[in-house]
Amino acid sequence: MDIKIIKTLVKRELLDVFRDRKTVFMMLFLPVILYPLIFIGAMQIVSVISSSMGEQNYRVVIDAEDDDAFAKQLKQRQETETYSLVIVDPQSIDDYETSLNNEDIDVYISGNMQGGKMQYDVYYLSSVTNSSYMADLVMDAFDDYREEMTRQRVEAAGMNVHEVLEPVRYAEHDIASNEQSLGSLMGSILPFMLLTSLMTGTSYPAVDTTAGERERGTLETILTLPVTNRQLILSKFITVAFTGIITALLNILSMGGIAFYMYQVMDMQTGVESFDMAKFVPAIFVCVLCIFAFSLFISAVLMCVASFAKSSREANNFIAPMTMAVMFTGYISFIPNIELTPAMAMVPAANICLLIKNMLMFKVDYGSIILVLLSNVAYAAAAILFLNRIYDSEAILFPDGRGGLQVFEKRTNLKKGGVPTTSDVVFVIVVTLLLIIYAGSILQIKFGLAGLFLTQMILLLVPLGTVIYTKRDICLTYGLHRARITDFVGGAFLAVGMLLVNLLISMAMIALFPESAQNIGESFLTVLGDNMWSALAVIALAPAICEEMLFRGMILHSLKAKYRLSSAVITTAVLFGFYHMSLVKFLPTGILGVVLCLVVLHTGSIYPAMVMHFLNNALSVVISYYPVQVGKMFPILVKEPLGGFDMFLLAGAGLVLCLIGGAVLSFSGRQREDRSLGEG
Amino acid sequence: MIIAENLIKTFVKNEKKNKKIEVNAVDGLSLTVNDGEIVGILGPNGAGKTTLLRMMSKLMKPTEGMVRIRIGEEEISDDIEVKRHIGYLSNNTKLYGRLSPGELLLMLGVIYGKTEAETRKRIKEISEILSMESFLDNRIEKLSTGQTQRASIARCLVHDPQIYIFDEPTLGLDIISSASIIDFMKGERERGKTVLYSTHYMEEAEYLCDRIALIHRGKIIREGTPDALKEQTGKENLRDIFSELIREEGMTNGY
Repeated sequence: MDIKIIKTLVKRELLDVFRDRKTVFMMLFLPVILYPLIFIGAMQIVSVISSSMGEQNYRVVIDAEDDDAFAKQLKQRQETETYSLVIVDPQSIDDYETSLNNEDIDVYISGNMQGGKMQYDVYYLSSVTNSSYMADLVMDAFDDYREEMTRQRVEAAGMNVHEVLEPVRYAEHDIASNEQSLGSLMGSILPFMLLTSLMTGTSYPAVDTTAGERERGTLETILTLPVTNRQLILSKFITVAFTGIITALLNILSMGGIAFYMYQVMDMQTGVESFDMAKFVPAIFVCVLCIFAFSLFISAVLMCVASFAKSSREANNFIAPMTMAVMFTGYISFIPNIELTPAMAMVPAANICLLIKNMLMFKVDYGSIILVLLSNVAYAAAAILFLNRIYDSEAILFPDGRGGLQVFEKRTNLKKGGVPTTSDVVFVIVVTLLLIIYAGSILQIKFGLAGLFLTQMILLLVPLGTVIYTKRDICLTYGLHRARITDFVGGAFLAVGMLLVNLLISMAMIALFPESAQNIGESFLTVLGDNMWSALAVIALAPAICEEMLFRGMILHSLKAKYRLSSAVITTAVLFGFYHMSLVKFLPTGILGVVLCLVVLHTGSIYPAMVMHFLNNALSVVISYYPVQVGKMFPILVKEPLGGFDMFLLAGAGLVLCLIGGAVLSFSGRQREDRSLGEG
Repeated sequence: MIIAENLIKTFVKNEKKNKKIEVNAVDGLSLTVNDGEIVGILGPNGAGKTTLLRMMSKLMKPTEGMVRIRIGEEEISDDIEVKRHIGYLSNNTKLYGRLSPGELLLMLGVIYGKTEAETRKRIKEISEILSMESFLDNRIEKLSTGQTQRASIARCLVHDPQIYIFDEPTLGLDIISSASIIDFMKGERERGKTVLYSTHYMEEAEYLCDRIALIHRGKIIREGTPDALKEQTGKENLRDIFSELIREEGMTNGY
């Protein structure tokens, strides 16, 4: 039933899309007609310009006491060319600078005897095409002239010209096959073209099926049908992605045709043999896979963006900067020496560009193919899940005027109490993230440890300011409720246990992404000062308060109020992992994030989580300051590399500690229930 | 059968100078529509008619209260399932301009869970009832107002629902087109269907409805058969009853 309905909806959407002249125009006209025209036109223009340059009339002034020796050389060259040359008398011009600037002459050459040698100076205007073109010709003539003079002198000295002037010989041999040179050329252009065409192919249907549908009033009709939100979104998503894929494939075919044609033309001119298209089959295959993967990704993202818009015009305005961002990322394939590392494979848009480039240059690596495709599909799935959450047809169609960004409301209009709205949380996250990325990194470079402390303050104050301005309930938002002593004890066990488990996970991640790990180690060491206590305050105490209040406080509690508990926990944890901005740290911090969320939800208070966070960070700081002492007490913590038994021991100890912590917490929870029952 | 219990729908409205106020578009309204009955909703613009009908047809969730739908003896609680038994029509339920009525109806049939053969048969019946044969395969964007409205009604008939909820179905139509729609509703009443509809045309309501609910500011101010309403107010026609009541309401509310 599900599939049948989605199939019917997709069929309808596609019929709608393909009967729309504007979409068909974007899909067909651009790739099939416009691009070839532009390319062939550009080629024509280039050849016309270069031939016209050769047919121009050039005026050169030679002001030198050399008996017209160079003038003769220049004229001699001109005989084999098509341009015409006028040697102007230096007396007829006043001043070479004015004449050059007025374009009365194209090149001015002065020559003086200096220490028995002729010193020529060539003056030209690089901003004027004719002048710089002629200057190049003049320089070439000087090269010939000098060679000719050298030859004469060598001969006059009675030496063998060949032996003296050519003591060594060399020849160059390019062993790149025709396929390789074509691949390298296409490798830089094709990914960019592909991104562009996917953007143009998906953005119009993405707007049309979301904001457009609402504007035309057909969304209310759909709402009368027995169709779920999920079926509706999926069918729209499939339509948009499909349109993108068709557009991109047409583009590729068209670009391939042009490239083939251009290469044929060049072949005919240079007489090189043609190439074996069969060698490109794997690259083309991966390319098509990439089109599918990226189309899924970009369709989901564009639909998310478009569904926030109130009208199609607004949606187009939202999409414009996104197009810029994607195109900009697409330029990465033009930059040489950027490798497709595992970290790079996670960057949307950039990853498929680099993968296609590699494939076209015959650098095949199955690991990165899988990683790139998987990451794209994963991002697309995440975006679709997100879209499913935010795209509520009823709310979009009949907005009741509530919710939204309260930060920009007048304070007098706001009601007191409750937790921040999701939009406010998103606003806080974006502002804090931008501040940390830009201001934070500058602060840390300038002030070291103090800068780190200031960054933590940003983390605390931006959300707190928002909460206070929007008159939210601070205790409710941050979970500032009393906790039992047993909650802290359980939390402490759990924190130490998690530290051990995360140690193992970190090792696994370091093995996977060694480059990224190196960066972290270095930056960590430079930040730590001589004083352990100040390091503890900044690296353990401040985050325990500031980070907890943002993540387990505001974000968790606000999301919990609107979404399912599991989605609130996972979103908070993923944000926490992402906040650490490192591939290696993502998983351990994410897991720690989940545990901290659970502790907050279980105990109903943020304080135990703060203690846990403090313990976790403080222990790492102590180990970095006293590796020797710690090593004596717990050799396993500093041992490198760990054997299989050591790992087992570490995992075992960690899990046991976690279990103890969990048991204490659940005991504490039962006590609390008993107490409240007793009171009730 | 539709049973609306104590419905409230609150919107936040922008007043001037960034001031926001909460408005109850529908304010504690209860109404029952039985099988084999046509109930008319009458009210001035902005009275909350459309909001009420949207909640009745499960397009919109009420802020408070609930709408219960009974098919036969069975009460259906799932909103998606309820939509299988409702044909909802309003000015805002536009059709896809780039499709033909025939294509649209065929797709809807599949979405309502019917086979293609069943749907084709049904489309044939419907196009005879609404005399749509001549434009069944033309694109909807090329149809006239009356033709488009007939196509819209056809959309509500594909699944032969038990309940019809029509928001001003005869608005802007000529006499012949609106007569065919009125005849259709009468015919469906004879078949035991539940019909709830809103209109601006008093004569039409008087002629067609078994019961009439007068709505003003989100509340029912009077409800009953056309005759009972006349008796209560001592007025000859609905138009007078209506303006009289609105005036009274306005005065008691201090407007």
